[in-house]
Amino acid sequence: MKKIIIGDHIVKAFGEGDEQRNVLDGVSVEINEGEFVSVMGSSGSGKSTLMFALSGMDGFDGGKVVFDSRDLSAVGENELSDIRRTKMGFVFQQPTMLKNLNILDNIILPSMRGNRKNVVKISEKARALMKRVGIAELEKRDIIQVSGGQLQRAGICRALMNSPKIIFGDEPTGSLNSKSAQEIMDIFSEINADGTSVMLVTHDAKVAARTERIMFMRDGKIVSELKLPKFDGMDMDGRLEKVTVKMLEIGI
Amino acid sequence: MYFRIIRNDILKSKAITLTTMIFVAAASMLVSLAAILVVNLSGALDTLMTQAKTPHFMQMHSGDIDTARLKSFAEQNNNVEEYQVVEFLGMDGTQIILGDHSLSDSVQDNGFSIQNEKFDYLLDLNGNIINVSDGELYVPITYMRDNTVSVGDKAVINGKEFTVSGFLRDSTMNSSLSASKRFLVSNKDFAEIKELGSIEYLIEFKLKDFSAIGEFETAYASAGLEANGPTVTYTLFKTMNAISDGMLIAVILLVCALVVAIAFMSIRFTLLAKIEDDYREIGVMKAIGLRLSDIKKIYLAKYAGIAAAGSIFGFIFSLMFQGMLLENIRLYMGESENSSVALVLGIIGILLVFLAIVTYVNFVLKRFQKISAAEAIRFGTSQEKIAGAKRFTLIRNRLFSTNIFLGIKDVLARKRLYATMLVVLVISAFIMIVPQNLYNTISSKSFIQYMGIGNYDLRIQTNISDKTNEIVKTIDSDSAVSKYTVLTTKTFKVKTSNGSEENIKVELGDHAAFPIEYSEGRAPARDDEIALSVINAGEMSKKVGDYLTLVIEGKEKYLTVTGIYSDVTNGGKTAKAVFTDNSANVMWTIICVELSDKSLIDSRVSGYSDKFDFAKTSDIDEYVSQTLGSTINSVEMASYTAVAFALVITVLVTLLFMKMLVAKDRYSIAVMKALGFTNSDIKAQYVSRSVFVLIVGIILGTLLANTLGEVLAGALISSFGASKFNFTVNPFNAYLLSPLMMIFTVLIATMIGTSSAGKIKISENIKE
Ligand SMILES: Nc1ncnc2c1ncn2[C@@H]1O[C@H](COP(=O)(O)OP(=O)(O)OP(=O)(O)O)[C@@H](O)[C@H]1O
Ligand SMILES: [Mg+2]
Repeated sequence: MKKIIIGDHIVKAFGEGDEQRNVLDGVSVEINEGEFVSVMGSSGSGKSTLMFALSGMDGFDGGKVVFDSRDLSAVGENELSDIRRTKMGFVFQQPTMLKNLNILDNIILPSMRGNRKNVVKISEKARALMKRVGIAELEKRDIIQVSGGQLQRAGICRALMNSPKIIFGDEPTGSLNSKSAQEIMDIFSEINADGTSVMLVTHDAKVAARTERIMFMRDGKIVSELKLPKFDGMDMDGRLEKVTVKMLEIGI
Repeated sequence: MYFRIIRNDILKSKAITLTTMIFVAAASMLVSLAAILVVNLSGALDTLMTQAKTPHFMQMHSGDIDTARLKSFAEQNNNVEEYQVVEFLGMDGTQIILGDHSLSDSVQDNGFSIQNEKFDYLLDLNGNIINVSDGELYVPITYMRDNTVSVGDKAVINGKEFTVSGFLRDSTMNSSLSASKRFLVSNKDFAEIKELGSIEYLIEFKLKDFSAIGEFETAYASAGLEANGPTVTYTLFKTMNAISDGMLIAVILLVCALVVAIAFMSIRFTLLAKIEDDYREIGVMKAIGLRLSDIKKIYLAKYAGIAAAGSIFGFIFSLMFQGMLLENIRLYMGESENSSVALVLGIIGILLVFLAIVTYVNFVLKRFQKISAAEAIRFGTSQEKIAGAKRFTLIRNRLFSTNIFLGIKDVLARKRLYATMLVVLVISAFIMIVPQNLYNTISSKSFIQYMGIGNYDLRIQTNISDKTNEIVKTIDSDSAVSKYTVLTTKTFKVKTSNGSEENIKVELGDHAAFPIEYSEGRAPARDDEIALSVINAGEMSKKVGDYLTLVIEGKEKYLTVTGIYSDVTNGGKTAKAVFTDNSANVMWTIICVELSDKSLIDSRVSGYSDKFDFAKTSDIDEYVSQTLGSTINSVEMASYTAVAFALVITVLVTLLFMKMLVAKDRYSIAVMKALGFTNSDIKAQYVSRSVFVLIVGIILGTLLANTLGEVLAGALISSFGASKFNFTVNPFNAYLLSPLMMIFTVLIATMIGTSSAGKIKISENIKE
C-alpha cells in the first residue's frame, strides 16, 4: 500500500531553558493513500501540533515528514505553500473564512491563485461541490449570513477544490450539534470513498468510530492504535463501543 | 485597573503610539510657534515704530519744493502735530562701495540722510537713536543680513572714505518691499557728498489723531502740494514691516492645519482599527451588562494621555525653535515687550489642539453605540462593513490577478478605515503639487502679464525728463531696434465718488505698441479713455464703461474706463491713458525697446547703461527676476520643502497604517497561508491595497490642487494686484515625477511595514 504521509520520529519543543518541553516527543505516523484515520487525545496532548507539522504549516525540531514521496523539511517556504494549496485540503473547527469575500469567492480562493484563466471551470466545480454538500443556494451570501454548519460545509468545499490527496480536519465537527456533525461526517466518508485520504482530529467518539484507524495521543506520543474495518453504514453501535472501551482503557 | 489596561495597550503598540504622539507634538509645536511669532511680531513692531516715531504720512517728492507753502499748510491744518522735510540723497549703486562689494547690482534705490530732529529716527540695533560722528557711516540692516558688509569695514562713497560704524533700523524703509534704503551720515559729511547725487524730499507729518488720516490725505491732495512720488501712510509702513514675517506665520499656520488634519486622521485610523480589533470584547462586555461609557473612558483616557504628552513635547520644541524664527524679527525690529504674553498664548493654542483631539476621539467613539452584542459575539465583526462592493467578486473578476483583487476588495470592504489613509495621501499630493505649480507659474515667462508689462526686451527708466529726448534719439537711430515706445508716468488728481480729490499715477503713451493682457475690456485708444489696474479699479469701484474725472490744471477731464489689467508693480495702483499733457511734472519715463535680434540684448543693456548713466537700463527678464526674484526663490525653496515634507508624511503614515493592518489581520493572513498563499502573495495584496488607495489619492489630490489650490494661490497672488489667475503646470513634474515619487515611497513603506507578515505563524493564529 502506498503511503501518502510518513511522519518519522517528529519532535517539536515549545518554551525556553527550564520551561522547554517536547509537545511532540518522537511521534511516528504513517497514513496510506485512501485511508481514513483519526487522532484522539486529551486536550493539550499535541494533536493540533502534530497536524500542523504533518501539513508543513509549522516547523519541527527533530525527525522528518515525507509527503507524497517528498521530504518536507527539504522543501522551501514557497514550495510548501504550493503543496498545501494543490495537494492538501484543510477543514478547521472555527470556520476560517475571509470576511470580505462571499461564500463562493471564499471557496474558489485557493484555486484562483495564478489560475485565473480557468475561472469558468473553477466556478463550475465549486458549484458542483456546493450542491453536493447541500449549500448550492448560498453562494452569494456573506459569511456572516449563514449558519455554522453551512459555513463548515463551505469550508469542506474549499478544501476539496483542488482535488487534494489528503484532507486534514482539526475537530471539523467540534462546534456543531450532533445532527449537523453526522451530516458532515457523511460528506467526509463520501470524499474518502472517492479515494482521498482523510485525517481528522477529534474528541468525539462517534466521529472517531466512523474512521478505519484511530491513533491515541498522550503527552506528545502515540500511545495506542485501534483498527476498524472501513465504515459501510452498518454496526455503528459496535464500533462506538470498541472506541469507548479503548478510550477508557487508556484513560482519555 | 484602567491604568493597567492603557499601559499594556500602549506597550503593545509602541510604534503606533509614538507616531501619533509625534503628529500631535508637531501640531502643538506649530500652533505654539505661530502664537509666539504673532505676539512677538506685533510687540516688536510696536516698539520699533514707537521708538523711531514713524511718520503718519509721508510724501516722497523729487523736483523743486516750496517749503514756505508746506509750512503754512502744516500750521493751518489743526491735525498736524509735527512736520518735517527730510532730504534723501539718492546715489547710483556704482558709487557706493561697502567693504569689498559695490552696490552696482542692487535693485534698491540707495541714498543718504542725516539723523532727523523731530521724528522718524534711525535707530541702532539696541533701539537707541543713533548719534553719528564725522567719517562714520551707518548701513541699512538688509546689508548685514546678506553679509555685504560688517562693522569696521571701509566704505567709499563717490571717492570719499567712511568707516562702517554700525547698522541701522529704519522704521520706514526696513522692509525688502520698500524700494529705497537709507544710509546715515553726519551733517558735515552729508553736505560734502550732497553734490554727487540727486536730492529727493521726504515730506513727513506726525498727526494728532491718526484715525483722521483719510481727511488729512484729501486735504494734502486738494491743497495741490508737492506730490511727485509715492505716498505712504503709517498703516502701510506697518504692513511692509510685518509682511515677510507675516508670510512666515501664514505658512506655519497652513502647515499646522495640515498636520492637525493628519494627526486627526491617524488617530481616527488607529482608533477604528482598535475598535475593529476589540469588537468581540466590546460586544461581550456589552452583553454581560457593562456600561459602554466605562469602556469608552478607557479609550478616551489613552488618547488624552497621548495628546497630553504630545502637547507637552510640542510646547518644549516650540520653545527650542522659537529663537531661530524670532531671529529675523529681533534683528529688524528688536525685542518685543510682551514676550510673556506670547508664552501664555502659545499654551492656550496648545490647549485648543488638545481639546480638539479629545473632542474628536469622543466623536469617533460614538461608534460604540452601534456595536451589536449579538453580532459581535457570533462573528467578532460588525456587519455593516461587509456591505460595500458586493458585486465586486472574485468569480466575476477578469481584470486583476487574484492578489490584486484581494487587495482592492479589502479596501472597498473597509472604506472607513482606508478613507483616513486616503485623506492623508490626498493632503500629501496637494501640498506636493500646489507649491510646485505656484513656483512654475510665477517663474514662467507668461507670468509677466500679471505684472502689467508688455512683451519687450529691455526697458530704460529715467526720472530726468529733460534727457528723455537724448535717449529716444539714440534708440531711434539704432538699427538693432525693431520697435520702441515711450511711456511717461505723471500724477494727476482724480475725483473720488464723494467729491474729494486724490492723486493717481497715470502712464501716458502708446499702449498698443506692447500690449498687455487685460482681465476685462481693452487698452485705451482714444484721448478720452483710460484703463485702471485691478487694485485701483477696486478702490474706486469702477467697472469697464464707467466714467472717471481727472482734474488737470483746475479743469475737469472726463474719461471712460475701457479696461482693467493686472499690475504688481508700484503697489499695484496704476492707470494707463493715451492723451497728451504738458501740465503735470513727469515722475518717470520708461522707454520700452524690442530688438530684432535677441542675442544683442546683453550688449545693448550694457551699452545703454554706460551711455545713459542717469537712467536705469534693464533686460526685461532681469527686471522681472529682480522684482520677483526673492519671491520666486522663496517659493522655490518652499516647493522643495513641501515635496520633502509630503514624502516624509507619506512614508510615516503608510508605515503606521500597514504595520497596524498586519497586526490586525494576523488571522486572515494565517488562514491565507494555511490555504497555500505564499508570503510574497500576501505582500502583493498589501501593496495592492496601498497602491490602490494611493492612486485614488493622487488623482483626488491633483484635482484638488488644480481647483482649490489654484483658488488659494490666486487669492495670494491677487493680494499683490493680479486678477484672474491660472496655474502654469509643468506636466512632467506635477503629473509624472511627483506621483512616481509618491508611488515609490509608498511601495517602500508598504514593503517595510508589511515585512512582519512573513513572520506570522499559522499555528499560533489558528488555534484549535
Ligand atoms: N506556541 C506555543 N507556545 C508554547 N506552547 C504551545 C504553543 N502551542 C501549543 N503549545 C502547547 O503544546 C501543547 C499541545 O498543544 P496542541 O494545540 O497540539 O494541543 P491539542 O492536542 O490540539 O489540544 P486541544 O484538544 O485542546 O486542541 C499544549 O500543552 C500547548 O500548551
Ligand atoms: Mg487542538
